[in-house]
Amino acid sequence: MTIPVTFWSYFAELAGCSETVVTVSASSTIDELLAALYQAHPALAELRRSTLIAVGVEYQDGEYVLKPGDHVSLFPPVQGG
Amino acid sequence: MKRFLSITRDPIDEAGLVANRTLSSGMGAAVYFSGVVRGQEGAEAIAALDYSCFVPMAEHQFHRLFDRLAERGSVESVRLVHRIGRVAVGESSLWIEVVSAHRAEAFGACQWVIDEMKQVVPIWKSPVTAAEASTSLNPNPTS
Repeated sequence: MTIPVTFWSYFAELAGCSETVVTVSASSTIDELLAALYQAHPALAELRRSTLIAVGVEYQDGEYVLKPGDHVSLFPPVQGG
Repeated sequence: MKRFLSITRDPIDEAGLVANRTLSSGMGAAVYFSGVVRGQEGAEAIAALDYSCFVPMAEHQFHRLFDRLAERGSVESVRLVHRIGRVAVGESSLWIEVVSAHRAEAFGACQWVIDEMKQVVPIWKSPVTAAEASTSLNPNPTS
């Protein structure tokens, strides 16, 4: 299945794009998606420990099992205010 | 609990917000906070901050915070406005008001929402120097 991924804030600059699509096998986890993503965007891998992950509008962790229709967002720590 | 949320590119009309306050007769405290862009970011002088936002998720996360606030049962209303886009030094980027019966609850709730916002609401800021501000008069950062 294909999972759209959006990069927010300076992650878009590091990735060189604001959106991409990652192809993963059925029942893949976010960690598995990230492994594929980091191969294509190694600059993001260096920030993996501080990376926040959302599916839709909810935070998720690496163990989340992806479903068709999911939209993943990756971004740095938030800075509102 | 009544709630109002606005994530906007427009300047925050603080006077208008205050003028439109409503509170019931049992409420004795209306606390509001205005967060203003400082002229320095770290050691660097800046002219503005560019705020970007994942708007649907930000709205969702704000409302989750408001849900948690409502569970306390002591707050009658919360109103919050957060600007996005370019916000010049001296302008307000955040305005929040909490109405409750007593000041301790209002101050505490106001502080709590801001603290939690800074943990979970997907808004980011990047500094804009005076030189950058003068060369990009029509900024359109990521929405």
